[in-house]
Amino acid sequence: MNAPLTITASLAAITGPEHLRTLGVATAVAPGNTDEVAAILRFAQENHFAVVPWGGGTKQRWGYPVAPAMILETHRLSAIREHTWQDMTCAVEAGCTWAALQSALAQHGQYVALDPLWPERATVGGIVATNDSGALRLRYGSLRDLIIGMTIVLADGTIAHTGGKVVKNVAGYDLHKLMTGAFGTLGVITSVNFRLHSIPKSTQSFTFSAPASKPLGAWMLKLLHQQFSTLSIQLRGTAEGFHLDIQLASLPEVLRTQAGLLESLGRVEGLAVEAATASVWDARQQLLDRDLVCKATMLPSEIASFADRVRSLGGESVTQATGIMTAAFPAVAGGQLPQLRRELEAASGSLMILKQPAESKLDSWGTLPDSLPLMREIKRRFDPEGVLNPSRFLGRI
Amino acid sequence: MLSAAILAELRDAVGADGLIIERNQLQTYECDALAVLRSLPGAVILPRTTAQLQKAVRICARHQIPFVGRGAGTGLSGGAMPDDRGIVISFARMTKILATDIPNQRITVEAGVINAHVTQRVAPTGYFYAPDPSSQTVCTIGGNVAENSGGAHCLKYGFTTTHVLALEVVLPTGELVHLGSPTLDPPGYDLAGVFVGSEGTLGVAGSMTLRIVRRPETVEVLLAAFDSISAAGQSVSDIIAASILPAAMEIMDRLSIQAAEAAVHPHYPECEALLLVELDGPSAEVDLQMQQVRKICKANGAWEDRLAQSEQERMLVWKGRKAAFAAAGRLSPDYIVQDGVIPRTKLPMVLEKISEMAAEAGLRVSNVFHAGDGNLHPLVLFDASIPGQEEMAVELSTRILHLCVDQGGSITGEHGVGRDKQQAMGYMFSEPDLDTMQRVRCSFDPDNIANPDKVFPRPRLCGEKTGKYTPHPLETAGVAEYF
Repeated sequence: MNAPLTITASLAAITGPEHLRTLGVATAVAPGNTDEVAAILRFAQENHFAVVPWGGGTKQRWGYPVAPAMILETHRLSAIREHTWQDMTCAVEAGCTWAALQSALAQHGQYVALDPLWPERATVGGIVATNDSGALRLRYGSLRDLIIGMTIVLADGTIAHTGGKVVKNVAGYDLHKLMTGAFGTLGVITSVNFRLHSIPKSTQSFTFSAPASKPLGAWMLKLLHQQFSTLSIQLRGTAEGFHLDIQLASLPEVLRTQAGLLESLGRVEGLAVEAATASVWDARQQLLDRDLVCKATMLPSEIASFADRVRSLGGESVTQATGIMTAAFPAVAGGQLPQLRRELEAASGSLMILKQPAESKLDSWGTLPDSLPLMREIKRRFDPEGVLNPSRFLGRI
Repeated sequence: MLSAAILAELRDAVGADGLIIERNQLQTYECDALAVLRSLPGAVILPRTTAQLQKAVRICARHQIPFVGRGAGTGLSGGAMPDDRGIVISFARMTKILATDIPNQRITVEAGVINAHVTQRVAPTGYFYAPDPSSQTVCTIGGNVAENSGGAHCLKYGFTTTHVLALEVVLPTGELVHLGSPTLDPPGYDLAGVFVGSEGTLGVAGSMTLRIVRRPETVEVLLAAFDSISAAGQSVSDIIAASILPAAMEIMDRLSIQAAEAAVHPHYPECEALLLVELDGPSAEVDLQMQQVRKICKANGAWEDRLAQSEQERMLVWKGRKAAFAAAGRLSPDYIVQDGVIPRTKLPMVLEKISEMAAEAGLRVSNVFHAGDGNLHPLVLFDASIPGQEEMAVELSTRILHLCVDQGGSITGEHGVGRDKQQAMGYMFSEPDLDTMQRVRCSFDPDNIANPDKVFPRPRLCGEKTGKYTPHPLETAGVAEYF
């Protein structure tokens, strides 16, 4: 029996043949609604076919590689179903790109207060599955603070709703938190409900620079303790030196005063100051163009020293004040990363390899936590046949 | 009944002074603040350390003894009500603050630490712990974690789940695991996110690392008096539409104002609807935004608007608001506290419907609510000594919850499901939704001993299939019950 032909015929019966295509050895299928997603997953589970859910495909290299029989594409699930702007909530299908969602919400001066990678191509589902976040996290928190409900489809075709459309809700388990950052290993996200924020009307950004990271790191901690209307702060480590980018957001009158105060405080610290260019907030994304890229986590007080450590390995980094670093290294530094991982883990942090050259064999995820058996058990109960993104996740879950 | 051998094991685990078995002492633990639901536990244990906690849970796991954690017993949904075959684990002796890390804005505490004590500890350095349930002067962090507690200020600062970074948890199997991390985004599933708010059904936490928040430079509270709830509600919508995110926005109606006034004399204006708006942040920002808020209130017909003039006055304003439930006792011999949530914009419609339903039932309903996030606390007043009135109050209270769900809301915003709202869960969630939650539960607690028979509409056993209902063998044997 020819397996791919069987797949094609069965999937065509679900979505119609026009929504299938062949991608190498895999069959890509694009369901048009949640029921079709359920039917596809039931078929995959019955036949033990590995499925990779696929949005914009921007982060498919993250985690261990998967060789799927089927790729479940979400681009037909792209509707913005509701934007109840008076309630500051929205409901959107998983295949909608981040930029499309944000531009619709912006009509009412609102947004999902998150700045993920590649917003033009990345989809809501993929961003949620990988728990991506950027510099806005300092003020607004991460996806776990912004998602209020979700529709998911489990491997056996069960369609489940979790949470709801209201910001405050403690009924039942927060399954949407479990799905956020699960890399599509527990279910396929088909729609997400978000709480929204008003887009700040006036903002101002500064870049403070110094040859060493330490004074900038110390100053960053001081600023976090002070009363500025801070939207985001990041420390950039480059070959030339270090930069602390600060964005303030407030009423125009307040902003003027705070900006003046901030500049003068920076000068007192002996830092060079200039207005930040818009491109500094893209610096994280630019690092992802390199061949060897990591996400590292650390306590805010450790940011300066790890930024220094990255530079000592010839790397560059962008670290949010919340303690999340994106770092790019020259390929030759690869051998040093296990040691860097040990140092980060010893300081309560972690190191995840997002991208590495084909010949490099660095472990993607790092040391396994004591909760791994529990995670495996959850995977077993959600996806007993192991068809959803098999082996991609921590501990090859 | 627990056998003498099991009691001996428990005594061995927590020490003789950590085990309560005297009937009159056990009575203290037979209910939480939802006092109508009572059940006498077989024993109460009071561990002093996580190691003792783990020993005790291992005993429970070995003998299949149900257990429930208990902080201060202030929960309002019967979540801490014991199983009569089981034990209560009291956290009254796990009250140490283990570590504070001001530069990183973190604090690590044992589960029995009182909510307000966290703020007290970090206040001298200019920080506070944001979640502020009304019971914060007595309730514990462990209980807050179980319930994902909110409070008036979660509109801006988020709920308990936003503020819990890491947990040391004893699973129902007796294993000790670390969920979350002091740093963000630890690799793996967000089990800390699932654990917080699971109402004690996934295990018991011995200690936790929390976020603390920088105390704002300025805090101002406005009291605005309106002739109607809908005018106050409209002001709330207009404030949000003006891109202002207050620290808190609360509405109290005439009945609850009277009750609070009688109880703690907060000097509220006498009116049909009182709106409290708290703004905090940098002084210049707060001043300008407060001007805007006052304009909005005036435009909606506020006939009095005054700022609390001092820290002391501000505290009194909040004391009145937080006393609103207990103060209802001055209006009526008995009352039911409800905790529904609706999308903010449905407020006028839902309140009108509630007053219609109350009139039909011939009962009074007083309203206090976290207006900013649509969390209603209707208090259904009744007199249990009048035959049939309690049943009518329960019925009305259930209809209010259904109304909230019908309008796209939730059956509970902060009090939890517990034993109280198990049936309402079935109204809000479908069978596949509940089945999916059950998969999580069974992963943590395959033997169903951690606070069993709570949250879910009926006890389901791990491995049980959904679909057509057939009694489980254990149910037929009388070990589990169908509700």
